[in-house]
Amino acid sequence: MGKRILIVDDATFIRTMVKDILEPKGFEIAGEATNGLEAVTKFEELKPDLVTMDITMKEKDGLEAARDILMRHPDARIIMVTALGQEKMLLDSIKLGVRDFVVKPFQPERIISAVEKALA
Amino acid sequence: MKINAKYVNPFIEAGMNVIKQIAGIEVRRGHLSYKQQPEPSYGVSIIIGVYGFLTGQVVYSMQTEVAERLVERMLGGKSPQERKIMFVDTLGELANMITGNATAILNSNKDLSLKITTPAIATGSNLSINLIPKPTLVLGLYTQYGPVEISVALEEQETLHELDEMSSVLREV
Repeated sequence: MGKRILIVDDATFIRTMVKDILEPKGFEIAGEATNGLEAVTKFEELKPDLVTMDITMKEKDGLEAARDILMRHPDARIIMVTALGQEKMLLDSIKLGVRDFVVKPFQPERIISAVEKALA
Repeated sequence: MKINAKYVNPFIEAGMNVIKQIAGIEVRRGHLSYKQQPEPSYGVSIIIGVYGFLTGQVVYSMQTEVAERLVERMLGGKSPQERKIMFVDTLGELANMITGNATAILNSNKDLSLKITTPAIATGSNLSINLIPKPTLVLGLYTQYGPVEISVALEEQETLHELDEMSSVLREV
C-alpha cells in the first residue's frame, strides 16, 4: 500500500496537479483540505504519512496550520508548497520542523523528490 | 506619495517566467504607464492584496478570450466541462503564483516578509468597488492570445508612516 498524502491548498488547480503527479507514482491521496483549519482537523482524522501544505489560505494560513500539527505531532512530515518563495518564510518553515519547501510553479520531479525525501 | 519603478520589475520578471512555465507559451514585455489609481482595461480582473513593508494591491487584467486560452493551456488534458468549473480557481492561482514569485524577488531581506491575500476575481463593472485608489504603475505582457495587464499599486510602509505623522501634525494644527 502506498504512503498516504494529505494535500492542502485553496486552489483546486494545485490540488489536482499534485494528485495527478503523485498518484501514478504509487502514493495514495488520503484527503484534501482547502484551508489551515481544515488541514489540522483532517490531519487528526486521517493521520496521513505526509502533508503538502500551501501558505496563503483563508481561515488559517499554512504556517499556522503546520505549527499546530507539529506541536501535537512533532514527527509529522510536512512539506510547504507555496508561491511565496521568500527567504524568511523558508527559514520560518524550517525552524518549525517542516521537511522541505517547494516553490510554485514546480516541475513534477521537484514535488516527487521532495515527497520521497521527506518520507525516507 | 512615493511610487518606485523598482517595485514593478519583479512583477515583469515573475509574470514572464510563471506564464511561460505554467502555460508553456512565450511572453513579451510591453510598455509601462502611470495611472492615478488602478483602472483595469479588460473584462476579467484578478485582485491580490500585498502587505508587509509594502502595502497595496496588484491587479491582473485580460480579455475573457485570453483568460480562457491561458486556462486551457494550464489545464492540459481536462475536459471543457472541467475547465469551466475550474476557470476562476485556475486564473486566481496564476495570479497567486506571479505575485508570490514577485514578492520573493522584491524581498531579499531575511528579516522581513511580504504577505499576500488570496485572489479575488471580478468581471465587468462590479470591479471598481474592490480597488483602493493609489498611484499605479501599469505594465503590459504580450502573449500569443493577447495582452495581460498588470497594475501595481504598492507603497512603502515608511510612506504610510510619513502620512500618519503628517495627519497627526495636521490634526494638532
